[in-house]
Amino acid sequence: MLILFGFGMLWVTADVYTEQRNVLDQVKQSTIHRKDLNQNDFAQNLPRQAVKAEMKYQGGDFWTESRKDKVERYPCYTCHTNNPEKFKGAKEMVHGDILLDHGGADKPLSCATCHLKDNPHLFKTADTTNIDMDHSYDLCGQCHFRQKQDWIGGAHGKRVLNWAGKRVVKNCTSCHNPHSPLFQKRWPKTYSPPIDK
Amino acid sequence: MDDSKNRLNEKKFGRRTFLKRFAQAAALSSAASATGCIGLIQNNEMLQLKWKEYFKKNYRLMTPQEKEETVERLERLAKIEKHMDIQMSSQNPINGVLFGYAFNLTRCEGFMECVTACVKENNLDRQSHTQYIRIFEMEPGGMSPETGNGKYFHEVPLDNHFYMGVQCFHCENAPCIRACPTKATWKEPDGIVVVDYDWCIGCRYCMAACPYYGRRFNWSASQVPYNEITKKQHYLGNRIRPKGTMEKCTFCVQRTRAGKLPACVEACPTGARIFGNLLDPDSEIRFVLKHKKVFRLKEDLATDPKFWYFID
Amino acid sequence: MYKKYRISGEGILSFIKDIIVWDLSGGVIYQLYLCGLVLIMMFGVYAYFLQFNLGLSVTNMSDIVSWGFYIANFTFLVGVAAAAVMLILPAYVFKDKDLHKVVIIGEVVAVGALVMCMLFILVDLGNPLKAWHLIPGIGILNWPSSLLSWDIIVLNGYLALNSLIPLYIVYSHYHNRIPDKKKYVPFVFISIFWAFAIHMVTAFLYEGLPARAFWNNPLMGPRFLASAFAAGPALISVVLGVIHSFTTFKIESRVFGKLRLIIIISAIINLVMLFSEIFKEFYTPTHHSQSAIYLFFGLDGYDELVPWIWTGISMNIIGTVILILNPGRKNPLINLPASIFLFIGIWIEKGMGLIVPGLVPSPLGEIVDYAPSWVEISITLGILSFGILVVTLLVKPALIIEQQFEKQMDMAAQLIHENNS
Repeated sequence: MLILFGFGMLWVTADVYTEQRNVLDQVKQSTIHRKDLNQNDFAQNLPRQAVKAEMKYQGGDFWTESRKDKVERYPCYTCHTNNPEKFKGAKEMVHGDILLDHGGADKPLSCATCHLKDNPHLFKTADTTNIDMDHSYDLCGQCHFRQKQDWIGGAHGKRVLNWAGKRVVKNCTSCHNPHSPLFQKRWPKTYSPPIDK
Repeated sequence: MDDSKNRLNEKKFGRRTFLKRFAQAAALSSAASATGCIGLIQNNEMLQLKWKEYFKKNYRLMTPQEKEETVERLERLAKIEKHMDIQMSSQNPINGVLFGYAFNLTRCEGFMECVTACVKENNLDRQSHTQYIRIFEMEPGGMSPETGNGKYFHEVPLDNHFYMGVQCFHCENAPCIRACPTKATWKEPDGIVVVDYDWCIGCRYCMAACPYYGRRFNWSASQVPYNEITKKQHYLGNRIRPKGTMEKCTFCVQRTRAGKLPACVEACPTGARIFGNLLDPDSEIRFVLKHKKVFRLKEDLATDPKFWYFID
Repeated sequence: MYKKYRISGEGILSFIKDIIVWDLSGGVIYQLYLCGLVLIMMFGVYAYFLQFNLGLSVTNMSDIVSWGFYIANFTFLVGVAAAAVMLILPAYVFKDKDLHKVVIIGEVVAVGALVMCMLFILVDLGNPLKAWHLIPGIGILNWPSSLLSWDIIVLNGYLALNSLIPLYIVYSHYHNRIPDKKKYVPFVFISIFWAFAIHMVTAFLYEGLPARAFWNNPLMGPRFLASAFAAGPALISVVLGVIHSFTTFKIESRVFGKLRLIIIISAIINLVMLFSEIFKEFYTPTHHSQSAIYLFFGLDGYDELVPWIWTGISMNIIGTVILILNPGRKNPLINLPASIFLFIGIWIEKGMGLIVPGLVPSPLGEIVDYAPSWVEISITLGILSFGILVVTLLVKPALIIEQQFEKQMDMAAQLIHENNS
């Protein structure tokens, strides 16, 4: 009986070791490419307003959430005209609500670090190339180049809605307030239950 | 802190309102049966459906048609018993997909939005506060959740702490699957470890076998407020679990097989959660495995989880 | 006393009828005893009714302590069942005449213990109505992968062996026939190996879980055997003591002496292994020793089990020492309480002291105290009294038949002797 039992156990173990394929081996041996997957399964409209990113990721083109539609008083030149104008409530509207806490105490940023004085709906880079508001990752990526690499590859930021199909990711400003990009402290949304009933 | 906990308790779970609603529903259904004929016919139909449900096979042995039938029966039962229109799916795994998950320890700030989203999406029992995800507040210097605090409730992130989320890791070599005496739990071809809630006998051996506390048990009948029930359901996923069965994270099978992200990934406000197809070399999860230094919990147990932690 | 119990006829029907009549007749104390057992059982049934309707939430088990009092008792009783082999082995293999006379009692105790084991598993199931999923053919038994499936097979097999062999022997004796050795001795030998198997498999159930460091211990199987072979014979000697003092079936003191020897040897081996385990846990306390620390000293203010385990171990040691030193010179008034001490000590240590710390702290380091709820205790008491009832109802007719048969044999021997002289 014991011998039979012993053989039984051997059988079980053998079974496990022959059937089982290590997940990393499976990953290494996989030759599937995104193109091979039936994309029609996940036929989808681009969610919200997505704009095509200016670069490609390892899988080709991808899209980011747009920024312009989230800026309340876009386009900027509704206010920022060349002619000085008087209008009601101007005092409140000169971005007094913006708290600039970016760059830390050592290298604090100012408005003009990113915004062009003459053309505020464009951003500037170190080599004075203008950057569209929807493609702010090019601006942020100048300092946060490691985060930008991770964001393009997929280790930073996150996809919107779908893991399959067209890749739409969040923009830098979808999650970070560009003027004070650190996440604020807040209460967690819930708590873990007391496990002893 | 206790006070705020209580407040949260009432707002979130509102047991009293729930009970009231429950009583109303019960009164409604008994009234329906008291009106006679219609009630009788419905009761008769319900008994027949339950009878068929009781004698059905293990999900894995069902033909596509049988799967379709049981899903229809369950939808009809929900209609009769709870007056609710649910859409239940029995969608099969997609070819060439093996799901994997990565967790960015640097990014998680302990907001626990994943937990709320998971509870809502997966129709988890509100009475016993079942949660698939646990977040541990960790002091620097250790990497094992045992050293962390899983019961925190204060403003987060706490300075000089990091947060570690733990859930079912969908091991390739899952000890729970070997343990189950009735083959009620198994690994699907897309790598998701699932439970057939109607085949499980509730012996809880899988629970003892899991080294990650990834499984939960329905100690009593699951209770979800009527209008909080997620109606898009999957047979193996978020349908309302019967009493006395095992349940667990399914990577939101009802969502992920439709191409969507799991609820926790979608809810995460910091992008700490990364999900994708391990077999697709272009996927985000593969990017993480390739470019980041990753680790898995308790690798010495050879469970081979498909859930990696990494640090930016 | 046997005059009161007459064999009424022949065949299976009169066999069953006689057994029922014998079981139901008896003195006032016997009737009260039966009624008491039935009352406790009824209360257990009521508690189970509650549990069945409301779910296992009426127990104090939780997602962390997912196995509790039921499984603890199950584990212990598997040992009691296996211990019948300690009578069968000497009786059949070493042809020990003294033990051969009481071997049937050992077997009946095993049957009772097994019935209780099955019931404990059944009440622990979340979905008892779906237990048919375990039956191969109409359900699926995950054999050989799941150790639980092995356990189901060996327990049922052992139950079959231990009820059918004595049934055949007793049935033959009922008809004044000498049972055909060819028909049952092979099964006796199978049952000897099977007894070891049931307890090893039950140990493997826990031992095979790397998730639980406290259980994942290669000493567990052997220690299960050692503790079972101490606790089982301890229980059997108590049962024999009861039979000796309350019935006409007299048990020779040699039997108690032999059982004492078996108990002593097993208990010493058990204590040596316990010491070895404790050494490993506390000489180099690792992360994996958390459960042992919780068990013996409490962890983070949770110390529900601490008084229990120290009581258990003390009782274990006291019982063993008394049985070894034998201060009462085989006086049953000293040795039987010592056996009871040992039995309870092992029950605590191998029941709650084994199951709960295996689950606490949880794999993620969370600690929850556990003590059985009144529902669990009532159901457990109900099952225990059902087991005792089964043992009583089986032992009584078996002993009556055995006694009558012995009488017949003696008369026959006397006749032959007289004829010869």
